[in-house]
Amino acid sequence: MPKISKNSEGVSKKEEILNAAIILFAEQGFSNTSITEVAKATNASTANIFYHFKTKEELFLAALQNVKEGIISHFDEYFKDREFENGLQMMEEIIAYYLYIAGAMEQWFLLLHSHYPYRLALVNEVCREHLEKTYNSLVEIFEKAVVKGKEDGSIADVDSRKTALVIFSMIEGVVRFKIYNLYDSGVLFAELIKSCNKILKYKE
Amino acid sequence: MPVITIFSGNFCHEDAIVKELVKATDYNLTSQQEIVKKASTLSKIAEAKITEAFMEKTSIFNKFTHEKERSIAYLRLAIAELIENCGDQEVIFAGFPVHLIPRDINHVLRTCLIADIKYRVKTALIEQSGQSEKNAMKFIKEHDKNSSAWVKSIFSIEDPWDISIYDMVIPVDKTTIKDTAALIVEKSKSGAVEYNERSKGAVRDFHLAAVVETALADEGHNIGVSAKNGAVKLTINNNVLMLKKLEEDIKSIAQKVHGVTSVETEIGKNFYQADIYRKYDFEIPSKLLLVDDEREFVQTLSERLLLRDMTSAVAYDGESALSIVDEDEPEVMILDLKMPGIDGIEVLRKVKATKPEIEVIILTGHGSEADRKICMELGAFAYLHKPVDIDLLSQTLKQANEKIKNNLKK
Repeated sequence: MPKISKNSEGVSKKEEILNAAIILFAEQGFSNTSITEVAKATNASTANIFYHFKTKEELFLAALQNVKEGIISHFDEYFKDREFENGLQMMEEIIAYYLYIAGAMEQWFLLLHSHYPYRLALVNEVCREHLEKTYNSLVEIFEKAVVKGKEDGSIADVDSRKTALVIFSMIEGVVRFKIYNLYDSGVLFAELIKSCNKILKYKE
Repeated sequence: MPVITIFSGNFCHEDAIVKELVKATDYNLTSQQEIVKKASTLSKIAEAKITEAFMEKTSIFNKFTHEKERSIAYLRLAIAELIENCGDQEVIFAGFPVHLIPRDINHVLRTCLIADIKYRVKTALIEQSGQSEKNAMKFIKEHDKNSSAWVKSIFSIEDPWDISIYDMVIPVDKTTIKDTAALIVEKSKSGAVEYNERSKGAVRDFHLAAVVETALADEGHNIGVSAKNGAVKLTINNNVLMLKKLEEDIKSIAQKVHGVTSVETEIGKNFYQADIYRKYDFEIPSKLLLVDDEREFVQTLSERLLLRDMTSAVAYDGESALSIVDEDEPEVMILDLKMPGIDGIEVLRKVKATKPEIEVIILTGHGSEADRKICMELGAFAYLHKPVDIDLLSQTLKQANEKIKNNLKK
């Protein structure tokens, strides 16, 4: 777990609170996390936290938004000015980078893999939008690779959307293996790439 | 010149009545088997598999495969093609698939044949000699459960014989076979069920919607479809997070169907109920005991509750009620007051003394105000009078269940 950053250069108190909230919500869940704990972790007063976020739910939503923006901007940054040989190679790199991010920013994925946001999404439109946007962006990245590969011939004539979703769910499964310590997912990496290659090159 | 549809309880003389009907008119019969056969040809799903769509029990794998929904989509297409092809010819459709015909096709006369359960058991024993009464009862209950689940999945109502989904519901225990057929023929000649341009258009819309639905089902989607003059509306009922992606996908599938001029999507009213079944399970008590010496009443009540997914045990006197309480620990008890041997008030007293967590609902035909007072003081959950409104009773059961759950939390 990365340490909660103290009020150093460039990090506002609000951001600091959000970072702490992400870690605490991700590790302990929504109901087991109190505002007092968030306050303690950031050397802030509860009044200060309630000044920025009116309720615990609002803090949670802001944390989720932060995760969404973090993931999207990381991928944007990664793709900037990057050239790929072909669609298949692009897919390989996306998978590798996805797993890298999931390891480096584990708390983001821990939060996304907890049950609470999905329950909240049923009754809270803002939560729903954050989640939808997050997953749309991720699937689009995979889909872009499939479309590209179909154009340049490195990927067979598959259904782009469905294939992207299937590969994405495989990768998400491996991430789950990692965050819940089900199995050493490092061992699976080479086989995962091979399996995706088989799916993408297979002609009926 | 209408279409006649027949939906019937088992052992309600369906075959004899249809035979009589065909004799009295020039109508051709299309049976459930024929509709299933056509659906099977269109979909290449085995007939037996399609028939499973009429069963209450769904394969545990259905959540991932949507096999049942695909079968139903093809049944709809089959019956849509059959209706469109017969034009203004006179036909009878029978069986479960008839409920798939939308209400706005108004040259359809919808009939239902039903009788009370005692009569049906009697008929079963005559029609299938050597059958035991218990078996016949089991057979009937199973059929009713399937009918109920089927009707519920289409109209969201529990009672498969509910008048609101038919033009006529005929009690065949009170009407002869000949008279039943005559009643149907007479009604079919009334102007209300005439074949005209409007209903012809409705058939075309039904057919187009069915084609779109099967195209979606073939791609694994389970989406409600309606059509109006080529304009198709897709209703998403299953909650998904990546909603925009799903909308794009289903729109592009629908747009490729010949005859579709425009496509729009909407969110169904069940969309935000993530898992309505799970919610349902929590609302009703799972262990319910009915205690009443009037056997017929208690049987009927048990059946009505079964249609609402509540299974219940039955005791006919106070002694057996108390022994069930000891052995099985029901959560809720519906109790009559006047019974031979240990009466209701005594049962209530004993139950509340030994197992106060059991909620007891008194249901009595002749109770006085004084009885009511005693019962409430003894700790009864509610005091209701016979005849009881089934909605009120299930409401009360849900409230009792809530109380039990709240007690558990403490």
